[in-house]
This record gives sequence, structure tokens and C-alpha cells, in this order.
Amino acid sequence: MIAQDQILEKEESKAQETKEVVVSVRGLTKIFKDFWGRPKAKAVDNVDFDVYKGEVFGLLGPNGSGKSTTIKMLLGLLNPTKGKIEIMGHSPKNVAIKSRIGYLPEESYLYRYLDSRETLEFFGRLFQLSEPERKKRTEQLLEMVGLSGVWNRPVGEFSKGMQRRIGIAQALINDPDLIILDEPTSGLDPIGCREVKDLILTLAKRGKTIILSSHLLADVEDVCDRVVIYYGGKIHAMGTLKELLSERDMIRITTPLLSKETLKKVIEIIRADVGEDKIKIDHPTQNLESYFLEVVRKAREQAIETSGAVSQNVIAEYLRGDAETSPEEKTEKLLEKLAFKKEEKPEEKKEEKEEPKIDESKLEALATTSVKPQEEQPQVKQVQKPEVDLEKVNEKLSSLINKPK
Amino acid sequence: MQRLYAIIWLTWKAAFRFRLIWVISVLLLASVVLLPLIIKHDGTARGFTQILLTYTLSSVTALLGMATLWLACGTLSRDIEECQMQLIAVKPIPRWQIWIGKWLGLVSLNALLLALSGACIYGLLMYRSSHLSPKEQEILKNEVLVARSSLKEPPPDIKPDVDRILESKLKTMSLTPDEIKDLRKQIEQQVLAVHQIVPKDYRREWVFDASRVLKTAKSGRPIYMRIKFYTAQPDIPTTYLCIWRIGSDKSPRIIEFEQRLAGETFHEIPIPADVIGSDGKLVINFINRNPVALLFPIDEGMEILYYEGGFTLNFIRGLLIILFWLALLAAMGLAASSFLSFPVAAFATMSIMILFFSSGIFRSAIEEQTVMGVDHETGKPNYPLIDSIMLPVFKVVFKIMNLAQAFSPVDNLSSGRTISWTDIGIAFGQVVVILGGIFALIGIITFTRRELAAVQTTGG
Repeated sequence: MIAQDQILEKEESKAQETKEVVVSVRGLTKIFKDFWGRPKAKAVDNVDFDVYKGEVFGLLGPNGSGKSTTIKMLLGLLNPTKGKIEIMGHSPKNVAIKSRIGYLPEESYLYRYLDSRETLEFFGRLFQLSEPERKKRTEQLLEMVGLSGVWNRPVGEFSKGMQRRIGIAQALINDPDLIILDEPTSGLDPIGCREVKDLILTLAKRGKTIILSSHLLADVEDVCDRVVIYYGGKIHAMGTLKELLSERDMIRITTPLLSKETLKKVIEIIRADVGEDKIKIDHPTQNLESYFLEVVRKAREQAIETSGAVSQNVIAEYLRGDAETSPEEKTEKLLEKLAFKKEEKPEEKKEEKEEPKIDESKLEALATTSVKPQEEQPQVKQVQKPEVDLEKVNEKLSSLINKPK
Repeated sequence: MQRLYAIIWLTWKAAFRFRLIWVISVLLLASVVLLPLIIKHDGTARGFTQILLTYTLSSVTALLGMATLWLACGTLSRDIEECQMQLIAVKPIPRWQIWIGKWLGLVSLNALLLALSGACIYGLLMYRSSHLSPKEQEILKNEVLVARSSLKEPPPDIKPDVDRILESKLKTMSLTPDEIKDLRKQIEQQVLAVHQIVPKDYRREWVFDASRVLKTAKSGRPIYMRIKFYTAQPDIPTTYLCIWRIGSDKSPRIIEFEQRLAGETFHEIPIPADVIGSDGKLVINFINRNPVALLFPIDEGMEILYYEGGFTLNFIRGLLIILFWLALLAAMGLAASSFLSFPVAAFATMSIMILFFSSGIFRSAIEEQTVMGVDHETGKPNYPLIDSIMLPVFKVVFKIMNLAQAFSPVDNLSSGRTISWTDIGIAFGQVVVILGGIFALIGIITFTRRELAAVQTTGG
């Protein structure tokens, strides 16, 4: 198994060598100086990395670790003290190359007095989009981020989450090849977070390169192909999530529910090679995000009104790359997308909260569950948590959903 | 072009959404409408119109000037401090275009406000003048609501006389170089006095090349002598007998008349255009029969004003010069905010503006050849070292200031003088291209080199 992994890794690194480098960073250092030119803080310290076309690249690290400083140097907003940056073979200061970049800063630095449509129109003009194209994209983006109903309200009146959404929309107005997102899910509700992550995956599928900075580990884990982990301005780890996260001395088998006898046999076979204390058997659980989304979906079906952002769960046509296709082809693509989404969200691999020891009573309990047919049981009810807790969560989430923004 | 337009549009949007434009508009209208109700004048329609023009145009210029500086400092430095500039700078627009876009936004905004205020002032003038008696209307039409050019005698060449007198004096005296310098100054003043002073029972003659005025003569419009004189008794309120003889052997007619006039103030005296000689010369003689000498200053003692065009176009040209000043202030504010925070930029630019208003200090320092003053006993500078450093600086600053201050549209409009298209061209070159260009260059270079994200470095 280990040998097979090594072969796969070698193939991956070979593939990377042949891939087009979109961002190249070598020896990047940034020292902030005081008024007298004396060094004050070393924000980034001799950093090297490459980002390849079509990958989602994560910059991970705690606050103040140098992620945002790196991003600002990539965008030409800060000058490196040392080192070299190339964006698609050009300096970050090159004006022409900026037409292929989309940027979402960590705070939504928007003009408070413009409404959301004016904001997108303004940025569209900076990209010299023709008027019909600008208007088309503006409408599609507003629809995508769920703000088409509140387009005439000044951005200054928006909640943080709504400002974030309009920030994401402006970053995509030019259909960029390289998208740099600094804390993209900060301030968003779980639905918004999921939508942003879905959007990132869709964009990556279209061959867009995405650099994502976050200290939210779940965000990075859900969407990134490769990550670097910053601490104190230095890179402490870099690689694919598989390289960084897989425990090579352990395996996990997931199957549909088994009868007590079969389960017993399997455990017996394993026991022959591994000590009992090293075997763990439980039901896979979905994470809180999936659970939340399910509750919200149900609430929506009951048509509960909200004055905030209303997610349409659609991605702007021009960003999907199917603007010119016929309705039949669109249906096909939608089905394809849905299938792809399912593959992209391996929920069953998520957290295993409880680690019960293998004993007969537990085995009995696990096997008895199989009496009920799986189809009749909604996924929500499979979560192994006390009934009381679930009710509390339900109440809290329902109150959150009904709470006006 | 679309990018530039986007930045201009943004500047306008900010001004309208922050209600600044409405506040300024109300203040401008108040100054235009309310000022005429409270100002004092000499009781004549001419005096009232002159004061009205001076006060309203000056207050509009001051109000718009302050607002321009405030807006220019705020629009860029606030965008940088509040990080919106980061979102613009990562888009495919060169930073110089952002800077120019902001400047054009401010200039166009000023153009609109100035046009509105100008239209109000113009409307008010026309409305008021239409309610005057035909005689007063005629006076206004000929003396204020008109564009008149002027003729002046070329300044006398005093150098040969000064050299000759100095030479003769030096033959009998032995002086140090500094003393020779002082003596030369004294002689210069004496020679100038000869050209300016008309002693008791003496005559002074002015000769103008008035060939350009012949067109006016044909149209039958009068020409004007604009005179001002001083006496040795400024504290005694009295009038002085002025005897005039205008015309020469070559002119169709010669006129002679007497009048009593007050000193230290301007007088405009109409004279028929046919006193100009066939050779194009206009000869004016003044005879002083007063018990004291009268002094006609070389620069403003005697001037001939003649009709050149209507008031409307002249008024528009006057407003154009004011717009050039506002464009310069916008460039100054943007240049300061390219590298300073909003309050510091506002303070710095206001200080420069005050400096501009204090040009008299610079002029007197340069004329006296000392910044720190002289010891009255020895006649030598108190701090020659400081003077040697500061005087060249003062000279340069004064020259730069003069590029903008050489134009006085408000004075010209209120005295019915022409602001020619040549003046407009020169004003545009000096105020907008040279001075504005210097500030633009400083602003664009610093803004392009500035680390826009350095104001917030604690992200992650």
C-alpha cells in the first residue's frame, strides 16, 4: 500500500512539473520598517512556492503569520523587501496582467455610498467591459450571490455577510483566470460558506487557478488541492492534502450496514493480525455544516421570509462557461454538475467523533440498526448524538434562520 | 478612456451621495443672493455693480477653493486609508489614470458649480440693471458691463539718466560698493519722481499709441481716461483742480476742460474718440494749478480704456481663469494626499494657500533685500547669513507664486476690462500646465510608488 502511494505521489509531482506555473514565488521576504527605516517586523521570511494552472492552492496559518502580506505582494499592493514574484510570467506591477486576476480582500473594502449594482458596474468599467456585457454579468452575479432583491440599497447598509457576497461578485466580474481570495468565508453564514466553496470548486473545474488564504481549516480542507502552512512568516509545511493528512500506517473500510454475523466474521479476521484495542468500528457521521444545510433546506420549503441575502444556489452563466449552450445541453451539464458535486463532497470521510471499543454489546447495537431499511431513513436522523442535543440545535438554528439580518 | 470615466464618475457619485454638492450649492447661492443685500456701496449703480461683482466672485472663489482643497485631500487619502484603493489598484488601471481621473472629477465638479454660481451672478446683474434708469443703464453698459482694453504709456527708460547722475556724483566722492548701491537706488527714485510728479504750475504730457482705438472711434463709442493721483497732503479731505487739454495738431479736434477731483482714488473720465490724431497718437496734457504737487504713479496714474467687446464673453473668460485656479488647488490637494493622511494633507495645503495670500511679505523682503531686517544705525542686514540663504528661496517662491497671481479676473470684470483669449491661454499654461503639472508630477510619482497596503499590515 505504501509503495502504491509513493508511485501515485511520484506521478503527481511529475504531473506538476508539466503543468503551467501561474504564480511563482522565490525567496520572498517582507520586512516592515519604521519611520526611520529601521526593521520593525519580518512579516514574510524567504518563502518559495509555485501555483499551477487549475489548482486550488491554500495559504493556511494563524493570524499574523504572513498570509495576507504574501497575497498583497502577489497583487503589487506591497513591495517585497527581497525575492521575486511572477504572475503568469509577469511582475505583479504589470497593469495588463491584472485584467486576468480577481481579488477578494479579507475585509470588504467597498464604497459605502454605491449600491450593489453600481459597485459591480464600476468595477466592470475598470475592466473595460462593454455595456451589454457589464449589465449581463452584473445581473448574473447579483443573482448568484443572492443580492438581486436588494440591489438598490447602498452597500454601507449591508450586513457583513452581504458585503462579503458583493465582494465575491466584484472579484469575479472579469471572469478571471487567477482568483485570489483572502478569507473568503469570513462573515458568511453556513449556507454562504458552502456556496462559496461550491463556487470555488466549479471555478477550479473550469481551469481557473485559485489562491485561498484562510485560518479556517475546514474551508481549506474542503476545497484545496495543495496547501502551505505559514507560521511566523515562514512556510512550515507544503503539499497536497493527501500528502499532509493521510495516516499511512492505518486504513479505513466503509461499507453499507452489515448483519451481526458478517460483522463478527470481519472482526475475527482482523483480530488475527491486529490487537483489539487498535480496531475502531462506528457509524460514519455527517458534519454540522451538512446538517445545517439540510435544516435550512427544509425551512425554505416552508417559505420562511428573510430580509437578508437570498441564495439562489446558481452560479453566474458566464462563470459556468455554458453561456452559449442550448437548453438541452444546459440540462445535461446541470446533471453532470450535480454528479460532480456529489463526487466532490465525500461527506462520509468526515469527522468520527466517537471511538467506541469493540465489545459484544456495541456490536449488537450496530447490527440491530440494520433492521431498518436505509432508504426510509433520512440522513439527518443517522447522526449518533443524544436526542436532546439535536432538538436544541434545531431550535437554535431555526431561530437563526428566522432572525432578520 | 472607460477606466478614466469610471474614476470621474466615482468622484461625482461620492460628492452627490455625501450631500457635499448640495451643501456647497446652498452656500454658493446664499453668498450670491444674500451678499448684495448687506454690502455697502457709494450709492451709484456703477459702484453697486462693481462691488457686487467683486464680492460675489471673490466669495465664490474662496468657497469653491476651500471645498476643492478639502475634497481633493479627502478623496484620495481616505480611499487609501479605508483600503478601497486596494480594490481599484488591483484592477487593470494604471495608477496615474486613477490620479488623473480623480483630478478630472474634481475639476468637472468645480466647473459645474462655478457655472451655476456664475449663471446666478450674471442673472442677478442683468435683472438689477434692467430696473435702472436708461441713463444709469448706459453708464453700466459703457463702464462696467463691458470688455474694455487699456493703453498705458511704456515705462520710461531711466537707466541712462541714472548712470549719468551717478557718474557725476562718483567723481566727487569716494564710496564703498555697498554705498554705491544705495546711492544708485536713491538716484533711481529721484529720476522716477521726475516722471511721476507734476509740481505746482507745471504741465505733464502723456502720449499713447492709440491706433488700435481708431475702430472704437469709428463706432462712436467713448473712450475713457482712468486716472489716479497722490498729493503731499493725504490727510486733508479736499479736491484738486485738474486742467486737461486733450488732442494734438493732427487730431480732428482738441478739447479742453477743468474739473475738481479727489486724490488717491480712481476716476474714469469719458473723452470723445475723435481726439486721436491721424497718426494714431493720443496726446493728453495735464496742467497743475494747485498749490501742491500731484503725483501720478507710473503704473496706474494714467490709463486709456476703450471698448473691445461685450460683457458676457468676458465674464465667461473670467470664470475660466477662476476654474484654472481651482484646478491648481485640486492638483495641490491630490498631490499632498498621495503621500499624507487626510488631516495632514489638509493642513499642509491650507498652509500653502495662506502662503499664497502672503505674497506681500515675499515682495517686500525681496525689495528690501533682507528677510530678517536691517540695523537702522549701520544700514546693514541683521543676519546676513540667513538672508543669503533665504532670499534666493524667497525669490524662487515669489516667481512661482506670480505664475498664478499674475491674473486678476475679479478686478478686471468689476472694472469692465477685457480678459483676452491670449490671457486665457497664458493663464492655462502658467496655472494649469506649469504649476498644476508640477503638483501632478509629484502626486503621480509618489502615488505610483506608494505601498497601498502598508496602512494595514496586521491581516495575517
